[in-house]
Amino acid sequence: MDMNEIKEIFFQECEEQLAELESGLLKLNDGDRDPETVNAVFRAVHSIKGGAGAFGLDDLVAFAHVFETTLDCVRSNKLEPGPEVLKVMLKSADVLADLTNAARDGGSVDQARSKQLIRELEALANGEIPVAAETPVAKPAAQPAAAAAPAPVNEEGFQPVGFSFDDFETAVDEGEVLMVIPTYEVIFKPKSELFAKGNDATLLLRDLSKLGEMSIYCNTDELPPLEELNPERAYLSWKIQVKTDKGEEGIRTVFEFAEWDCDLDVTDVTNAGAPADEDMPMQPIPFDLALLDDNDDHDRPIGVVEEEEHIASDQQAAVAAAATAAKVVEMAGQAARQPAEQRAAPAAAAAANNAANAQSAAGTPTIRVDLDRVDRLINLVGELVINQAMLSQSVVENDTNGTSSINMGLEELQQLTREIQDSVMAIRAQPVKPVFQRMSRIVREVADMVGKSIRLVTEGENTEVDKTVIDKLAEPLTHMIRNAVDHGIETPEKRVANGKNPEGTVKLTAKHRSGRIVIELADDGAGINRERVRQKAIDNDLIAADANLSDEEIDNLIFMPGFSTADKISDISGRGVGMDVVKRSIQALGGRISISSRPGNGSTFTMSLPLTLAVLDGMVVTVAGQTLVVPLTAIVETLQPEPSAIHSFGSNQRLISIRNSFCPLVDVGRILNFRYQQANPVDGVALLVESEGGGQRALMVDAIQGQRQVVIKSLEANYTHVPGIAAATILGDGRVALILDVDAIVAASRGQPLRSDSSLAAAG
Amino acid sequence: MAARKSAPKTITLKPVLDMNEATALHESLSAVRGQPVTIDASAVERTGTLCVQVLLAASRTWDNDKQPFTFSKVSDAFKKTTQLIGINFDHLAA
Repeated sequence: MDMNEIKEIFFQECEEQLAELESGLLKLNDGDRDPETVNAVFRAVHSIKGGAGAFGLDDLVAFAHVFETTLDCVRSNKLEPGPEVLKVMLKSADVLADLTNAARDGGSVDQARSKQLIRELEALANGEIPVAAETPVAKPAAQPAAAAAPAPVNEEGFQPVGFSFDDFETAVDEGEVLMVIPTYEVIFKPKSELFAKGNDATLLLRDLSKLGEMSIYCNTDELPPLEELNPERAYLSWKIQVKTDKGEEGIRTVFEFAEWDCDLDVTDVTNAGAPADEDMPMQPIPFDLALLDDNDDHDRPIGVVEEEEHIASDQQAAVAAAATAAKVVEMAGQAARQPAEQRAAPAAAAAANNAANAQSAAGTPTIRVDLDRVDRLINLVGELVINQAMLSQSVVENDTNGTSSINMGLEELQQLTREIQDSVMAIRAQPVKPVFQRMSRIVREVADMVGKSIRLVTEGENTEVDKTVIDKLAEPLTHMIRNAVDHGIETPEKRVANGKNPEGTVKLTAKHRSGRIVIELADDGAGINRERVRQKAIDNDLIAADANLSDEEIDNLIFMPGFSTADKISDISGRGVGMDVVKRSIQALGGRISISSRPGNGSTFTMSLPLTLAVLDGMVVTVAGQTLVVPLTAIVETLQPEPSAIHSFGSNQRLISIRNSFCPLVDVGRILNFRYQQANPVDGVALLVESEGGGQRALMVDAIQGQRQVVIKSLEANYTHVPGIAAATILGDGRVALILDVDAIVAASRGQPLRSDSSLAAAG
Repeated sequence: MAARKSAPKTITLKPVLDMNEATALHESLSAVRGQPVTIDASAVERTGTLCVQVLLAASRTWDNDKQPFTFSKVSDAFKKTTQLIGINFDHLAA
């Protein structure tokens, strides 16, 4: 594993931590005051800072440090996380995410914004609490540090000299000499986890000894006799007196990367003058020990795989860096680290567990796999499915009826292929949560820009869907959210005037419905101004001035290319990219989008997307000599129509009566222009389908060939979009079959011609 | 009786005394319990706390057993690190 791989793991973990951070902050925003939530938030920032330190990402470290300091005030109840505080924190989380991205991809960050936030964070940490935990960053030298710094010297009348608490530069001030150097007593008791993570007490104590004159007493009382000793458990603890001008904060900085894995107590004993306990003789540490092995990194963390050497080479970060990196390496390379001795195995497992626990998210062991590898596997499985179908077919064609063993074998093969396929798909399934979380940031930012107060409510964020779908969802969703915030929701004044809560709500919901994922975006804004939309469409020659459109049709006009109702082109949503682009990207995913709007009460966009883009359970049918596949998820039942059940309706419509209700009969062959005459329903089979709109239709096909799992091959990618057709597949005999877009067919049966892009123009 | 006559067993410490080594050291020391032991720490470059714990526990156990437990040679790194963490093996020097 080289440095870049380790770094990549770090960034992946950053993403998780950032998600953790954001969801924690949002919980706090909702009034959650559980200390564990605050801790989780703090840990997230702390971990990012730790890792960033290891890789020398100074911008990231500096910002995370200030952020962490303010969070620490919240954690220690010195700062109440009110709405104003959380606003700053959420913005800081966004900047932290930007900095992380910039560090990874080399982009740039809005420096002014991050500087501004640093100031705001500092103000929070300092302003509201008279004795802040620390001065977040080095203040201008002219400003006395006394007010904010934890006065390390409490002699009356003593004026502390301004010195920096900044961890990253240890400039020695000349004025220092004049100071009374305070003495601290440090009680340090490492836990076994500290060692399990590859850190060592020796390293921490060495760093501590560098702070100044130090005396140490090692408490060995808990150490059992050899036969009872567990060699991987921590028994020793230390009482240390250190005379340093770095303050309590400087001491804590030494332990900061181990703080979860040890008990630490630091007290200022400058004036206590307490002589060392009689029974605890303090052993002074000679100064030269501080320099122990400092230049060759012999004393780097212990129990870490070799590769980590690269990391420790950065002297500045030495201990802290390596400890964090060790954690990273440990998780990735746990397997490699397993000691040869069998006996050590349970302990190694325990170490792995600890590492996993440290990653608060991890419940069960997980591995990270390159997406490419999974994709390759999925492709191969797709080919396997096709191949297996071909094999079955050729066995049937060669008529080996007598040899049942072949048939049985084939059946088993089919089952196995099926299971493999399901398992592979499960690998790719991911909750939509990360995308939803990204949206909350967009809502925040856009709302801020346009001066609205908007709350994003998410539901069903654990709904799982294929990773490809998730990745491609972010962009259209972002655009729609921007629209909802910018155009959908009214200004607070307007809302109040209309008797609404000044705070608008945007609700993002995900759920599974009949084998698809349905994502709804609802706002409680003004709804679509149909008159204006209509006028605009007429102005843009999209519809005829006298066109008679239903409300639904008018609403759908917004999906037309080049349509924007905003009077002024705003920075946010009016970038010339309209809802037509959104619609096209959703369609490219094999999805559909619809809108319903109630004037004065807001609009709801509903997107329905396939769970996976790779396979589909389908019913293979024949229509006018063509083989088509109808997605099984859409089919409610199949039936053979009786002549008595068929009723004519209007000029050329027909209905079929099913259990005392009537259902429109749709001739698929006619709609797809496979034939010019309507077929006789009695000769064919009716498939009762449920469409996205909820209504039922009976699709007429000539015959059913059977049910099959088919591998989806995109028509858009290989050919071009065909209205009424969702995709294609390769059948067992090697022929291409088209997969029906049931909803498009149903829509077409309502009189909308099968030309998705210009359907409304034609209607007008 | 036989033990008293036998020459002290010498255990040579590895250059890197890490967590894995603590387990190994614990095993090899347990195996020679009841016999005089000499520790050769001359090759030690990195000293970890866990190994120091094992050595300390062993020295006390040997003391209890009234068996000699000594350090024949110690490297500078070993000496400095133990001193740094407030552990003194000087009285056990051979």
